[in-house]
Amino acid sequence: MSNQEIEQKVKQILSKKLDVELDKITPETRLAEDLGLDSFGAVELMFELEEAFALKIPDSDIEHVRTVKDICAYLAMWSEKTPRQ
Amino acid sequence: MGTNEMGRHRVVITGLGVVACNGIGVEEFWRANVEGRSGVTLIDAFETEELSSRIGGQVRGLVPAQYMSAEIASRVDRFVHFGVACADMALRESKLDLTSEDTDRAGVIIGSGAGGQLFHEEQILAAVDRGAHRINPLAVPRVTPNAVASQIAIRFGLKGPNLVISTACASGAHAIGEAFRKIQYGEMEVCFAGGVEAPLTRFGLGAYCSLRVVSKNNANPAGASRPFDRKRDGFVIAEGGAVLVLEEREHARQRGAPILAELIGYASNSGAHHMVMPDPGGEDAARVMAAALKDAGLTRVDYINAHATSTKANDVVETKAIKAVFGPEAYHIPISSTKSMIGHALGAAGAIEAVVCVKAIGEQFIPPTINLDEPDPECDLDYVPGQGRAAKLRTVMSNSFGFGNCNAALVFSSVS
Repeated sequence: MSNQEIEQKVKQILSKKLDVELDKITPETRLAEDLGLDSFGAVELMFELEEAFALKIPDSDIEHVRTVKDICAYLAMWSEKTPRQ
Repeated sequence: MGTNEMGRHRVVITGLGVVACNGIGVEEFWRANVEGRSGVTLIDAFETEELSSRIGGQVRGLVPAQYMSAEIASRVDRFVHFGVACADMALRESKLDLTSEDTDRAGVIIGSGAGGQLFHEEQILAAVDRGAHRINPLAVPRVTPNAVASQIAIRFGLKGPNLVISTACASGAHAIGEAFRKIQYGEMEVCFAGGVEAPLTRFGLGAYCSLRVVSKNNANPAGASRPFDRKRDGFVIAEGGAVLVLEEREHARQRGAPILAELIGYASNSGAHHMVMPDPGGEDAARVMAAALKDAGLTRVDYINAHATSTKANDVVETKAIKAVFGPEAYHIPISSTKSMIGHALGAAGAIEAVVCVKAIGEQFIPPTINLDEPDPECDLDYVPGQGRAAKLRTVMSNSFGFGNCNAALVFSSVS
């Protein structure tokens, strides 16, 4: 999956989950400050991303994710490391 | 002043919200009740092929995002959709401005028999299918029965008591009764009280089928719930909810609130007999009705909204109990069954029926018991069969009897 495809899929998931219009979400959008995602929401988001991308994100990584760009970078990194199911 | 001769505060109802299979919102629901319109259909929420009962009171057309943010709506179980929607409707009708209220003295007490059943079932299937590590991280706060009261408290900023009562089919009535007591004793001034249930799931319906207490009249869904009728063959499982705004009377008067009715009596007790069967003599049902009447300072009421589930056992026992309490006068008190039209919404039933009682007083009209074509010889009271009727209603009683012999009775009156 290309970085562009990853970004598009992440935006779609966020848009649906948080009821935000797709074009309002940019790579710089901050999850907590701009989208109102609390810590439990972040845990749930990671769970949904794991399902959508069929990979496992370590708990320790969740804490470092602040923006949409961060999510995409982690997903790109982990999709290289994790074999597809 | 604001207290009665016992030194207790008086409690009035200032708002109603309801979601049922024959109507969403009080207006639509009440019209269906007046017209004797059933909301029972074949269930299409999930595959029912394998089950003996494939009918239910399924709520259609509720849009949760009309009552809460789409984000919250996507993060809660269906039973919470019902609760928050009903609370929102009740708040609107009450015209209560929570921004100018002492919210420390505003609470929420909701009845729920089984909590977030649909999500619970989905997560168990996910765990079986893909492993327990694939359980949704928010499963605990989605499944827990108190999710409904807490989501209502969060949505409206209610900082007083926040409770859920789980007493099977009497949950909603107990929630209203306990809220009544807390306001009477000065613990709160406002309470969102009611009941919700969302049992239309494969496990939910399957479990009742296994227990053999539900109607198998799949050929005629609208005719399946037939309380007091000779051909009744069990209840029809239903989903829905109702929330009432209960308010201390002086508080309501001072803000010029629309006062719909007064709650004047409540009692709860147990038959201590069996987890499913009622006491065949109906002694506990009679006792709870008598205690609620005494609490209200009455010896008679003008109408009884019966528990009347359409099971063989319940309808006969309730009839016996009504006769034991009211004596020969029982034959002159009109009685009807809301469940004849909407089926049995379990933990929501007592609250939905409380809405019917308040509307009956407001409209001076008794909704019918539908499908009562040929009465069971052991059920020989006036059950208002087929057609509703106008009546002078000053006082109304509502009965609720839950599995495990958890009983409740509520008494409402018109506003004096």
